[in-house]
Amino acid sequence: MTGAQIIVTLGGIALSIFIAWFFWLAPKGQIRAAAGAGGVQEVAVIVKGGYTPDVIVVKSGQPVRLNFTRQESAACSEKVLFPDFNQSALLPEGEQVTLEFTPDKPGEYGFQCQMGMLRGKLIVE
Amino acid sequence: MNAKDPVCGMDITPQSAFASREHMGQKFYFCSADCVGKFDADPHHYAMATSATTGFNPELPLTQLILPILGLKKDGDATQLESWLRAYPGISKVIINRATETAQVNYDPNLITLAKLAEAVRSAGFRIGGAQMRIGIQNLRCASCVQFIEDELCAAPGVISSSVNVATQEATIEYLPEKTKLADLNNAIESWGYKTRSAASEEPQDKQQAAHEKEYRRLMSHFWFAAIISLPVLATAYSTFVPFVRDWSVETLRLAWGVAALLTLPVLFWSGIDFFTGAWAALKHRSANMNTLIALGTAAAWLYSTIAVIFPSIFPQGTSEPFYDVVAVVIALVVLGQALELRAKGRTSEAIKKLIGLQAKTARVVRNGKEMDIPVEEVLVGDVVQVRPGEKVPVDGLILEGSSAVDESMLTGESLPVSKKAGDEVIGATLNKTGAFKFRTTKVGKDTALAQIVKMVQDAQNSKAPIARMADTVSGYFVPVVIILAILTFVLWFDIGPQPQLVYALVTAVTVLIIACPCALGLATPMSLMVGIGKGAENGILIRSGEALQTAQGIKTVVLDKTGTITKGKPELTDTVLTTDWKENELLHLAASVERSSEHPLAEAIVEGAKAKGIALSEPTAFEAVPGHGVIATVDSRRVVLGNFKMMVREKAGLGDLEQKAAVLADDGKTPMFVAVDGGAVGIVAVADTVKEDSAEAITILKKMGIEVVMITGDNQRTAQAIARKVGVDRVLAEVLPEDKAKNIHLLQAEGRKVAMVGDGINDAPALVQADVGLAIGTGTDVAIEASDITLIKGSLKGVVTAIEVSRATMGNIKQNLFGAFIYNVLGLPVAMGVLFPFFGVLLSPLIAGAAMAFSSVTVVGNANRLRTFKPKFAVK
Repeated sequence: MTGAQIIVTLGGIALSIFIAWFFWLAPKGQIRAAAGAGGVQEVAVIVKGGYTPDVIVVKSGQPVRLNFTRQESAACSEKVLFPDFNQSALLPEGEQVTLEFTPDKPGEYGFQCQMGMLRGKLIVE
Repeated sequence: MNAKDPVCGMDITPQSAFASREHMGQKFYFCSADCVGKFDADPHHYAMATSATTGFNPELPLTQLILPILGLKKDGDATQLESWLRAYPGISKVIINRATETAQVNYDPNLITLAKLAEAVRSAGFRIGGAQMRIGIQNLRCASCVQFIEDELCAAPGVISSSVNVATQEATIEYLPEKTKLADLNNAIESWGYKTRSAASEEPQDKQQAAHEKEYRRLMSHFWFAAIISLPVLATAYSTFVPFVRDWSVETLRLAWGVAALLTLPVLFWSGIDFFTGAWAALKHRSANMNTLIALGTAAAWLYSTIAVIFPSIFPQGTSEPFYDVVAVVIALVVLGQALELRAKGRTSEAIKKLIGLQAKTARVVRNGKEMDIPVEEVLVGDVVQVRPGEKVPVDGLILEGSSAVDESMLTGESLPVSKKAGDEVIGATLNKTGAFKFRTTKVGKDTALAQIVKMVQDAQNSKAPIARMADTVSGYFVPVVIILAILTFVLWFDIGPQPQLVYALVTAVTVLIIACPCALGLATPMSLMVGIGKGAENGILIRSGEALQTAQGIKTVVLDKTGTITKGKPELTDTVLTTDWKENELLHLAASVERSSEHPLAEAIVEGAKAKGIALSEPTAFEAVPGHGVIATVDSRRVVLGNFKMMVREKAGLGDLEQKAAVLADDGKTPMFVAVDGGAVGIVAVADTVKEDSAEAITILKKMGIEVVMITGDNQRTAQAIARKVGVDRVLAEVLPEDKAKNIHLLQAEGRKVAMVGDGINDAPALVQADVGLAIGTGTDVAIEASDITLIKGSLKGVVTAIEVSRATMGNIKQNLFGAFIYNVLGLPVAMGVLFPFFGVLLSPLIAGAAMAFSSVTVVGNANRLRTFKPKFAVK
């Protein structure tokens, strides 16, 4: 094995480990929904190549209001689905769309675009 | 002249006022700095509180209104209401009409508003019977605006009350239809700087289509740009195959490569911009998707090529050739794939478009005695609408006058036009055939039956089938795994591959990145679900969720409720038994003529049965009903008695063998009634709840599909068996109390089979919920049945067969898609990594990988679209 090959091999392994850590193991940033008037937990979510924020922490038993604004024209993200809550909405570009529901049970619930390319998580405590 | 401080309410003279303000054309005076400060902070609130602005023309000080008052006829104390109202300042005259349930009120709108008047009526214990409507308000966020908008709405003419909900971004308004114009209500909201949203359901669909069209054009222009650039770039990449270019010297070629580097830059950052922005956005969220793969692959190819062109010396001999062609061609192909996918996706929602297309565009409403054509979105609840023959009924309502036959086949599947008279319900989007009628609207906008159906179908299309969870889990890990595979491929080829190692390593790694297609996996289920659920809707089957659709394919036992499901749920004349010297028509003529005066459902069945045979009826006289026995009347100057055995005993009419014949009929589940004429029993008429024409056929097919059919009923064993024999059901659960139906379903489930329950949505709700799949038979406007997983809007049992067929076809399609998507990736990735190379010396070109990737997702959507050709075994029309 040449020196270059050793370097490439080690580099490749290191990079693979980094990728595994980066995508799966490293803790993700979360945002906690602030409860407004009437106990409604409100979060604004920007849809552009992904959901910002994509990990949202809310309290159970209190209504959650998510205001989605899609800022891209790619058809991929034109719908957002919360399969566990049977909620979905069409997101016209540049328009704010509100989804409101009350999660009753604590747990982690995914939300995503129609084909599951963009994903987010709703953590109910 | 004295004025009132609107904040504190103090009486002051304008001369002595601390300050004054003008708001909405009115002058206000204030006693102190404190009050004026409060007013400035929130002028509308204070102005509205004391303003005499009611929206009515102030030139006419006295207004006369006829208010519909609810509850007046039954138990209302009219005089009390009258004196109560008169006590209010500004009300000069009150005339209560109990028969029409109205109150005529003359009042001074400067002193009392309609909203206050409504409050006064309420405090007297009555309610004004206004109509209700909802208007959407766009981007309503500030909670403090709610009060302003509510006040403004209350000031609009004809409004009784209004409430604005921030959560739903809607205003709910109670109003008097004759006095209110939608434009006024919209103006009231818009005056606060908000845009209103019509309640029409088709709007987002149209918008989506327009957005798709725009996006398609954008993608196609990106594609064409990349495609055109690809041609010269390809020529420089395969220079030895291109005449003229192959004669270029190495220096010229290197220069051409430099040009290619520059040409492909706009392809990367214009045609392929979505991949880079998408990848970056995903990266920020520590996630990766298809964009990441394409961006990585093309960027790696471009960077390597550019370094190789600029610094050929740092690479080993023979490895400094660029491959810009990969950049341009892959981006062109993938963008083309996305455009085609978008096109194909548009077709998956065709069923919804068809449903929405049923909606009438305009309505002819009668307002202030004048007929006018207005867009259907502006029809209000409580409007009177005129419908002529051949026109569509615009919204749901109740017929006021006129009669007609209405074709409801598009919604209920009833192929014969249904006859409608005053008081009957009409459904929006159905077609008026013969007569003209006027109806009062009861549901408009998104509350109509059609809009509810559309909403239900859309929700279901966006729901998840459990089968998709696996694909979801896989695609969650998919992209990072592919990136790691690409790195390993690079390392392997670099370490043990043939010369030139660097080129092989890079080409294979890029190919791995490009061929992987998470999209196909992600699209597999939702696209088929979209088409399958839409197909169900086209055939009158509303499937509530992907889960219901998936469960329905595995149904092994179908439990059918008897009354209203297998049978019509309504008695019909079935038999007549005659003594020797009587004719059937004579007997029916007398029996039906007597029953004309009775309101009993059995009586109605006899009258209908006689009419169906074309028998003319006479007017009965001296009609008398004997409770628990029967009826007596004189028809054509003959004394006719109709009733049960007890009645015949009471009349001392000898029955002879009729008694035994009646017992046979009763055994068959029918209700026999004896007919005696002038004191002698002459025959029997029998009525029974008859089975629907197609029940037996549907049950036969279900059994052929390998499904056990069970009948459940509260009726006695004998009647139940009689019906079961007729339709071919082998297993009968009879004498089941309504509350025990769910328990019986549970027992069937305990046999280890997936059980579907078919019944009506009201009485059978617990059983429907208990079953693995609950199918409710809904008709008319009552389509959104909560308890059911599937609603059959065409009352026939054939719908059960079709529902299972749709479910099986859709699930088959989903499995094909998932299988295809998995196999594609499972085979494609190793080939791209080069597993075939050691054996056959074959390596996949990144260009082919790009094409494969682009068309794999198009194939998935295309396969889902194949479902559109699905035809049920029998079209329930």
